[in-house]
Amino acid sequence: MNPSAQRIELHPAYILHSKPYRDTSLLLEAFTRDHGRIGLVARGVRGNSGRRKMPLMAFRAYLMSWSGRGELATLSKWEPHGPPGKLSGSSLMSAYYINELMIRLTHRHDAHPVLFEYYREVLDCLSRHTLSEACLRYFELNLLDELGYAPDLGHEADSGEPVQAQASYCYLPEQGAMRAYGPCPGVRVGGKTLLELSERSLSDADSLKESKRLMRAVLQRYLGDRPLKTREIFRQSLNPSDRDQST
Amino acid sequence: MSASPLISRLIEALRCLPGVGPKSAQRMAYQLLERDREGARRLAAALEESVERVGHCSECRTLTEDEVCKVCSSNNRERSLMCVVETPADVEAVEGSTGFRGLYFVLMGHLSPLDGIGPQDIGLDLLEKRLKAGEVKEVILATNPTVEGEATAHYIAEMVRALGISVTRLAHGIPLGGELEYIDADTLAHAFTGRKAL
Repeated sequence: MNPSAQRIELHPAYILHSKPYRDTSLLLEAFTRDHGRIGLVARGVRGNSGRRKMPLMAFRAYLMSWSGRGELATLSKWEPHGPPGKLSGSSLMSAYYINELMIRLTHRHDAHPVLFEYYREVLDCLSRHTLSEACLRYFELNLLDELGYAPDLGHEADSGEPVQAQASYCYLPEQGAMRAYGPCPGVRVGGKTLLELSERSLSDADSLKESKRLMRAVLQRYLGDRPLKTREIFRQSLNPSDRDQST
Repeated sequence: MSASPLISRLIEALRCLPGVGPKSAQRMAYQLLERDREGARRLAAALEESVERVGHCSECRTLTEDEVCKVCSSNNRERSLMCVVETPADVEAVEGSTGFRGLYFVLMGHLSPLDGIGPQDIGLDLLEKRLKAGEVKEVILATNPTVEGEATAHYIAEMVRALGISVTRLAHGIPLGGELEYIDADTLAHAFTGRKAL
């Protein structure tokens, strides 16, 4: 999308990250439905001024109006869209991880309407608290899929044959899944996990655990060497369940 | 700007204050130089000394020039209650309006995972050490009702519970004197969910 001067009215958007700017403003990184990820400045929204009446928070759906040219547009109006999110506790931590992935892997001004829907889904899924680890894995896959990096989990990389549920595989991020016979330089993973993950139907603790290791290796390829900050922080977490499940 | 280099430097320096733009900085500089040299001297001395001597309380992390701040070293505080806040200004706010007589712990910020600000950056290791000492029986979480404040509160709550200490969080609700019609939807929804039996 061409970031030239434009005025957008009441467009669906989420805030991925916000930072204080000057005395009373915020710099926002927003993810919008039809304009992708954009940088916004929200003036006069902090402190005790009138504009602060409507809070601007991450993980909440808004309708936003903005205008501007170049990298940083000005947020002029916003209103909440739909009911407030119910993220709390460890699902909030997972949501931060999702936002970091979004910021690291999407480019500004690349429109991803489908990804917008996936993003809404994963927040919804996390707030319902059921099988939140599975929600994270499906979102990771959906994100890669939408960016054109989707790994083929249903077929053996060397033979092209469908993956067998009973077989054991070695997954190499650059190549794909191959039957594991000897030592595996990638991630060792069962056929059942590969199939369940590709069908978005992870069923038990073992598949969840394997798919987490697998997706971590797959994502690593696109994230590069710089570690994810959210992951580093969860590592310091004092609560073991957060530490294991948030990312 | 036609001011001399030294005056320009003063004006520029004053702009580090919150809410001070070039125009107000200029007014401040001329006020000090033209009409209140004595005040300027006091300001300079107080600034100099504060910057040199003010550090963090070794118990609650708030700003103080002493090793242990006045609240922490007082004998008249309820030492089994601890209120956790984000900033020293929050201590003043709670102190000035609630009649709270317990102790504080000042995080000097909040968790901000995407900025890489984690538990250790907000002193949670120190907080844990203090709680393990066994004096505190209830922890009151008074972090801001923002997403970061919530995340921070969750983190601390887990830690406090694991130590078998009771933990509470400030209520969210409609502001006193507010009118429902004008209150933002999320605050109202929160207040509705958190309604109390009468």
